Amino acid sequence: MIRSVKFWIGLSIILLLVTGSFIHTLFFDSYIRQQQIIYDNHHNVIGAAPFPPSLKFPLGTDKLGYDIGLKVLQGAKFTICFAVLIALLRVIISLFVAIPYAFYIRSSMRLWLEKLLSSFYYVPLTILAIFILTPILQNTVNGFLYSFPMRIILEVVILTVLVVPLISVMIGNMMAALMKEEFVEGAKVLGASKWRIFHKHLLPHLVPKMLIVFTQQCVQVLIIFIHLGYFKLFFGGSFIDFNQMAPDPPRSLSNEWSGLIGNYYIEIFTHPFVAIGPIIMFAIVIYAFNLITEGMQTHYSQNKQILKKGKKNKKATLQQQPTIEKTENKFTFIDQKGA
Amino acid sequence: MKILLKMIIQWILTVVSIILISGLPALIMQKDFRLYVQKVKEVALWLYRAGDMTYFYKGREMPLFPEVLSPYFYSITILIISLLLAYVMAQLLTWVTLLLPTFLRKLIKNVLTFFESLPDLLVFALMQIFIVYFYKKTHILLSNVAAMGEQRIYIVPIVCLMILPTIYFYKMMVLLAEEESQKPYFEFGRAKGLKDVYVYLFHVTRNTHENLFHFSKTVLWFMISNLLLVEWIFNMNGITHYMYDDFRPEILAICLILIAVPFFVLYALLEWLLSRKMKEEVAL
Repeated sequence: MIRSVKFWIGLSIILLLVTGSFIHTLFFDSYIRQQQIIYDNHHNVIGAAPFPPSLKFPLGTDKLGYDIGLKVLQGAKFTICFAVLIALLRVIISLFVAIPYAFYIRSSMRLWLEKLLSSFYYVPLTILAIFILTPILQNTVNGFLYSFPMRIILEVVILTVLVVPLISVMIGNMMAALMKEEFVEGAKVLGASKWRIFHKHLLPHLVPKMLIVFTQQCVQVLIIFIHLGYFKLFFGGSFIDFNQMAPDPPRSLSNEWSGLIGNYYIEIFTHPFVAIGPIIMFAIVIYAFNLITEGMQTHYSQNKQILKKGKKNKKATLQQQPTIEKTENKFTFIDQKGA
Repeated sequence: MKILLKMIIQWILTVVSIILISGLPALIMQKDFRLYVQKVKEVALWLYRAGDMTYFYKGREMPLFPEVLSPYFYSITILIISLLLAYVMAQLLTWVTLLLPTFLRKLIKNVLTFFESLPDLLVFALMQIFIVYFYKKTHILLSNVAAMGEQRIYIVPIVCLMILPTIYFYKMMVLLAEEESQKPYFEFGRAKGLKDVYVYLFHVTRNTHENLFHFSKTVLWFMISNLLLVEWIFNMNGITHYMYDDFRPEILAICLILIAVPFFVLYALLEWLLSRKMKEEVAL
């Protein structure tokens, strides 16, 4: 259990938004309020959409009178879930790439690979993503090149693959640093196989670090979503209307957030709150992820400190754990011999 | 000499990876790997005779080369000024922060986590709204919020670009300095009777520089992405317009290479200086 207030605050914000969004879809059928005109008791018009934020409409309404708050709620599940999915894929795939990188490649080779990859620092991800995703996500007069599920799969794959080289080098270097530790040397001397070193000695140290990299990646994906949204590349594709007379604004998949940003940003000068609302929601989610990251960081560094102190003071409670582990190891050892 | 050779090889690798990347949309659109290879070859050929490159502006074909240079220098000036300003501002703020009592420092770090989470687009949007609001109230136009045609605006884009990097640098510097102050030399300095300010200014700052140097690459990466947004939001006539308006791989490749040149040189130089200084220190 992670003992950090920050961690739990961040996690509950995100869970609240996602479950709220699912409840809105499952029990209210994604209903979005629409109010174009407000009357007083004598049926005189006293206001017309867009309405500024109020108690009734926490984020205001857009030009057509739709409640932005509910739109944001409806879209939350897509944006957050896909951001988490992409971040998860990035970390897991990078971990698998990092294993041969740390185990089988000589350290001089590693330096070279690192040098090669540092060229990525001059090619920002946003520009690349916009450049590669435009043919996939925007329709031409003849329609989309790919089907809807294919577009989502391709977007997820591209946003994952573009970052994998950088993250796997980072994880690989973490693993290489761990390999130089004394306990790994010891295991090697005792004849442990590479697999055993990896999953018994490296993995326990890597998992907390991976969790932190994972939440950081969630933030990165969200930022990319914002940028793509501004350039009208919405998640799952932007339906551009080629009607010459009165084209509709580009539409996105069920009010997913980058679509909201792209559609509302034009109103920044006329009705600032309409444009700012979805961006603020992004800020809240990013803040929540940052809180989770910080919570985990303090948690794991405190754990380390407790262990170090325990060694010095030889406290009974802390001393118990290693002895238990030792006896367990003995049993498994005999077991293995028997088998 | 060896270092120079290394740099040249690294530069060639950078160019090659940019060329390989710029062919990707062709692969995705045509779903044919042979076409991708052909496209990559084409891009490479174009780069070989970059002087003849053209771009389309409102349906007319124009030569790219002397044309692109002035917007290019404009963009690079803005990038470099904001990177330097962000660094200097963060350093000054860090020195002030380190002299504050611990509870205030903790508060500042928490506030920084909050500011760090602000999406770049929100910062730009708030900036636009603020300028317009200020103008409405006082009739003083702080700066133009958008550029027209050849007009150049400097202050607003630089401020927009530097706000978030300042915060990133600031937080990183405070964290690094605090980590550094746990080390024995810090205590030794104080035991010798040196003032905290002196140890922070001359020893801690110098020792954190190398880490910050590596961190600044990530910040730069982030800033180039932001440049694209800033140039679009404020309608500036910068280099990213050429990339986005004319969506051909060869244009993207040449623009990315152009942007990479000054920073590559800058970082190569800094790295060389750092490694030389390290060697000197080892020799001592």
